[in-house]
Amino acid sequence: MNVKEKMINIKDILLHSSLPVRLSTCIMGTGQLVYRQWLSGILYIGIFAAMVYYLITSGVNDIIGFITLGTVEADPWLRIKGDDSVIMMLRGLLAFLIIIAFLILHVANIKHVLAIEKLVKSGKKIPGLRKKIDYVLDKKFYAVALALPIAGVLVFNVIPIIFMIIISFTNYGGDIVPPKLIDWIGFGNFKKILSLTKIKDTFFRILGWNVVWAVASTFLNYFGGLGLALLLNKKCVKGKAFWRAFPILAYAVPGFITLLAFKFMFSYGGPVNYYITSLGGDAVGFLDIDAGIKAKIIGLCVNAWISIPTSMLLATGILSNMNDDLYEAASIDGATKWKQFYKITLPFVIFATTPVLITTFIGNFNNFGVFYFLRGGLYMDGYFLASDTDLLINWLYNLSIDNNYYGIGAAVSLIIFIITSIFSLVVYINSAAYKKEDTFR
Amino acid sequence: MKKNKMSTSKKIDTVVTYVILIAVCFIFFFPVLWLILSSFSKSGSIYDIGGFFPKSYSFDGYHKLFTDTEMYNYPNWLKNTLFVAVGSSFLGTIMVILTAYTISRFEFKSRKMLMKSTLVLSMFPSFMGMTAVYLMMVNFGLINKLWSLILIYSAGAPMGYLVQKGYFDTISGSIYEAARIDGANNITIFRKMTLPLSKPILVYTALTSFAWPWSDFILPNLLLKKKDMWTVAVGLMHLGETEFTRFAAGSIFIAVPIVILYFALSRFLIQGVSSGAVKQ
Repeated sequence: MNVKEKMINIKDILLHSSLPVRLSTCIMGTGQLVYRQWLSGILYIGIFAAMVYYLITSGVNDIIGFITLGTVEADPWLRIKGDDSVIMMLRGLLAFLIIIAFLILHVANIKHVLAIEKLVKSGKKIPGLRKKIDYVLDKKFYAVALALPIAGVLVFNVIPIIFMIIISFTNYGGDIVPPKLIDWIGFGNFKKILSLTKIKDTFFRILGWNVVWAVASTFLNYFGGLGLALLLNKKCVKGKAFWRAFPILAYAVPGFITLLAFKFMFSYGGPVNYYITSLGGDAVGFLDIDAGIKAKIIGLCVNAWISIPTSMLLATGILSNMNDDLYEAASIDGATKWKQFYKITLPFVIFATTPVLITTFIGNFNNFGVFYFLRGGLYMDGYFLASDTDLLINWLYNLSIDNNYYGIGAAVSLIIFIITSIFSLVVYINSAAYKKEDTFR
Repeated sequence: MKKNKMSTSKKIDTVVTYVILIAVCFIFFFPVLWLILSSFSKSGSIYDIGGFFPKSYSFDGYHKLFTDTEMYNYPNWLKNTLFVAVGSSFLGTIMVILTAYTISRFEFKSRKMLMKSTLVLSMFPSFMGMTAVYLMMVNFGLINKLWSLILIYSAGAPMGYLVQKGYFDTISGSIYEAARIDGANNITIFRKMTLPLSKPILVYTALTSFAWPWSDFILPNLLLKKKDMWTVAVGLMHLGETEFTRFAAGSIFIAVPIVILYFALSRFLIQGVSSGAVKQ
């Protein structure tokens, strides 16, 4: 609806507005010149000229290149330089962004000329440049302040994500990397993931384990942290700061150090195997390729070691906001400790932490570090470039970074995105925090 | 009689509580202790240590770390890490504070849209963007550059603005209104009022945005392929079982500043962790 209204608006401007406005709508800045706004007029005309120049010299070519992704394949024997499809993709993406930016500027230009016209018609003075800059810096402070952060996020977060979305619809990767030409294959990668036997099997096996892992580790970390916080909150515990220091210590050690240290601990030469062998047993390959369930359990425990302190801190913060009156009332009514926990503490904590629970779950679902460090780079039979402990995010890494399967990797990342966002949306909408905001206020 | 029974059950409860507490603290402390002791082990290989505790102790591990730099140039790794961490901390703090302050303080048309889009962006797996950044950097020949890491870290920093926004939300709007009535413009307000008021959150932001590159391994591992460009995290990843003491010493050396930092900041920690629980 909105877009339609805007379209009508533009038509309206073109047909019924004054000459300067029409001029500006056709060529940026000309309307401003008619109203003797020399500086802004020349600026807009300059932008317009630059845009036309860009389109003629490379813009149009870039967009055509984006559509074809190159037509000439390089041939060193014939000395043909050929097209680089990846560069063409990037340049095409850039061209689209430049065009969008230009359109936004164009709308601003029309708005500007309309504003000037209004001032002229009502006989007011048009503010000078100096005043204008002051106005922008003060009244539009938010725009000035956010310009740099937004530009940063755009360049290093949004564009890469768009780029990957584009890649997921191409056959980029495997043998097909520049100088070979890349092609658009539509949903080919997604079809491969859902139907090509080996990739499909790997995908569903990993997805299954990934869900089990995310549920189990979130459950373990969440209730472990809550339990620890409740334990430390007990009245009989003296020197709380001292006891709390140990989990905080674990929390403070950088994660990669913890993970590497645990890998050493369970390695063949590590202390655990030393005691096993000195007791007469055979050394156990805890993290070997055939470790199976052992490696999974170690992964869960190590992840708990790393994450329980975080959820403990969180639960401590929330418990300190709790109203003691509720417990007193419950005690007088003769409720047992267990019942108090079950009926008062738990609902409150879960209510207050639902958003965090979602982010923790997604964090665990996409937990790259644990199995990358404990047993990264293992490829098992029956899996396509993955092992039985790998999560989707590890598989993604194996596919796209280690083995250059960029197209399939990008498709896997989109599938992960779809799974996590649908999950969080559904949980959030069904959660108490969303349904009854005021229950615990 | 009844009172006596109550106190016995209470005593048992206290004892059980403490037993669990000691067990938990042991679990958290033991691996750290093991690593600390191993860093002082006289033998370098994990096979020679035998069990959890080294047979003889020395400072050799630390000494070798800084002198035996032929294969593993730890001082150089440390220098690179420091450069990246300080640079990203400086730039990242500016970006986050500007973002958080603006979103907390001003009502503008695209505000809700911005907040929602950061939420959606954070749903994409982090690797997705990183693979693309890697591809782009390779294609434009920007690989093996430390400053490109700084750029990526600080450009991504505004995405985590929620803690800081929560802090600015607690500053009452009325003082701003008063200043506006007195004729102060928004830049003056930010400089003269907001910045002095936000010292604690500035410190917190600077330190967390220092700690992140200090202990990150994914991005440097992806973008720094040359050995003399490695950061500590990448370097330590390449140490095998025979270099275990070196690994332990290097880890302790890099972990100590961070641990001290976290303890100094512990009053912010709870606030920081629970910020996700605060509704917008």
